[in-house]
Amino acid sequence: MPHVEVLPNSASAAAPGWHYVVDTGYDPSKVAFNPKDRKRVAARPGGARGENELSARQQTAIARRIAELDRDNDMKQVVTVPGKQAPAKTQNARRIIQYQRQIKHWLDEEEALLQQAPPPRPTAAGARTGQTTRRQSTMPQTPAEGTPGPAQHIPTHIGFHGDAENDVDPLLSIQSSIPPPLKPAELEALLSAPPLSYAESHASPRAPGGPRQRQFCDNCGYWGKIKCLKCGARVCGLECKDAHEATRCLKWA
Amino acid sequence: MPPKGFKKASAAPNKTLVLDNGAYSLKAGLVPHTSVNPGYDDCSVLPNCIARSHRDRCTYTSSELFDCKDFGELAFRRPVEKGFIVNWEAEKAIWEHEFMDDTAKEGLRCDPTETNLLLTERPNCPKQLQSNCDEIVFEQFEFAAYYRGVGSTFNAYHPWNVDSVSALPQECLMVIDTSYSDTTIMPIYSGRLVQAAIRRLTVGGKLLTNYLKELASLRHYNMMEETYLLNEIKEAVSFVAPSMQQFSKDLERTWKGRLGDKRILDSTIVVDYVLPDYERSIHGYARPHDPAKSRMRRGLQPLQGPREDLLPLGNERFAVPELLFNPSDIGIQEAGLHEAIMESLNELPDALKAGMLANVVVVGGNSLIPGFMERLENELRPLVPAQYILDMRRAEDPIKHTWLGAAQFASQPDLLQQVLVSKAEYDERGSTWLLKKFSGKD
Ligand SMILES: [Zn+2]
Ligand SMILES: [Zn+2]
Repeated sequence: MPHVEVLPNSASAAAPGWHYVVDTGYDPSKVAFNPKDRKRVAARPGGARGENELSARQQTAIARRIAELDRDNDMKQVVTVPGKQAPAKTQNARRIIQYQRQIKHWLDEEEALLQQAPPPRPTAAGARTGQTTRRQSTMPQTPAEGTPGPAQHIPTHIGFHGDAENDVDPLLSIQSSIPPPLKPAELEALLSAPPLSYAESHASPRAPGGPRQRQFCDNCGYWGKIKCLKCGARVCGLECKDAHEATRCLKWA
Repeated sequence: MPPKGFKKASAAPNKTLVLDNGAYSLKAGLVPHTSVNPGYDDCSVLPNCIARSHRDRCTYTSSELFDCKDFGELAFRRPVEKGFIVNWEAEKAIWEHEFMDDTAKEGLRCDPTETNLLLTERPNCPKQLQSNCDEIVFEQFEFAAYYRGVGSTFNAYHPWNVDSVSALPQECLMVIDTSYSDTTIMPIYSGRLVQAAIRRLTVGGKLLTNYLKELASLRHYNMMEETYLLNEIKEAVSFVAPSMQQFSKDLERTWKGRLGDKRILDSTIVVDYVLPDYERSIHGYARPHDPAKSRMRRGLQPLQGPREDLLPLGNERFAVPELLFNPSDIGIQEAGLHEAIMESLNELPDALKAGMLANVVVVGGNSLIPGFMERLENELRPLVPAQYILDMRRAEDPIKHTWLGAAQFASQPDLLQQVLVSKAEYDERGSTWLLKKFSGKD
């Protein structure tokens, strides 16, 4: 298979950089810290990083750890299919049975196709959904997809949107318990909307200003009250700081 | 001469292999077209993996694992990744072993050319993988007829009343599937997915097991090769704290304290897991924490009598499943399950929101973790406006529920015939056409 690399074009700077390459499993040398990304992080609105914000290096470390925790198969462990296999019955079947690609390949390929040709979204009158542009992927990126872009802050609406047309005078609040009937066109547009891609289907992060992200001791799991100056991880006290430095400090960086 | 396997459209076989093809386990059963209502007992749960032991040098295919006596350092190969069938070499071997070869057990064995296949999939599957699947089903296995659909949509065909099978799907249904690969939120209207409102959390059973494995390896022994055991430990000791407040209290009760201010671990919550040695015992068990025995563990084992290896578990018991409600605890940039449910509902018109909230069904293995349903309800209720009724229940058997919905669908020939595509049709019109047809756009 040829080496395919699609570079992000400058017009779509908001999209995280990605490329896909021949699937050879995890290769730490390919995920070196990308200095270009630092600019993007530094230049993002809001200026300097706040207390709980992470450096690009820390983000890479976290993304790498999550990818490790979410991995389905360990490519280092070869488990051969036992016994004699029934032969493939068609050319097609043989090709498919021989694929040893992992899920990441297929997801990256799907994203690549969508980037090239965004699917037409229905614009049927009354449809609330489907008219919006593609949802941004909020999944943590795996390191091989490039270093993480700036943290995306997509507000998560807790509770329901206040819809202007549905705003009811409090005096008439009994009526507000009866939602407006569904228009058939609206329903049909909703049901015929195309599926989201896998990346788009991920839940959004919490809105900024919501509950603060909890910080735990990297060693024992109690509250993380002290920050390690080397890697930014949290520990609960000096005892755990020593243990942290002896084990996991900078492990994922 | 007609193409091989050619059958007239009306001659579809009268039995269907109903297969809920999960990443962790296959849920499978042969369903005849009769009016008899299929039940949970008609469903077999089989490991969807090939495992290799470095110790006894044996390879176990799917149900052969039931006879395994030594799960130490067992390496797994799973054909399904992130919920989708990715590796057909392994999946083919497993299907052949469980459904077609002499190794298949009576009641599951079938000749695909005389059987329909009803196969479930997870939502948001890359199209190329759907195509691969369709091509293998018809070109390699040569099933007589086939339908592939998102598993949760069949849940709408669960009868309201257990004594009656209705051909009409429930109007509004919200399925929350928290299983091995991830957790997905799926609003369904009259058996059709509201695609734009599907939301997914990265956190599933696999991630929880791997997280526990990481923590145990960091804090006690290197157990990175013991995935099977850590999954067993997770299932034995995990619980979900009923609220964030209780989570904080439990965190205090399980803290060792600091130098000069040591605390005694609360043995009503901290447990010692007695690890199996795979000689005298195949499975381990948990018992209340005993500090004296834990000290003994550190090199002071008795010379006589059985030796015990203990894994103490404190905050790991509840901090691991807590990720379902706080993925950000390990840096996953997603809100908790309850917030993701609201995000999904916000894609819907108000009339549907009300209907969905009044009929929420939770399926998948993580829903069996003690405290899960209570926490979900505690977190969700304050987010739901007071005028809406919230009716949420866990399926009677959350592992087999999706299979049973599909089996009930398959047991009704009228419903089934509407969706099945025969091999002859596939041979004539091809896989691109089939992909469109199954996505509802032909
Ligand atoms: Zn600590
Ligand atoms: Zn550190």
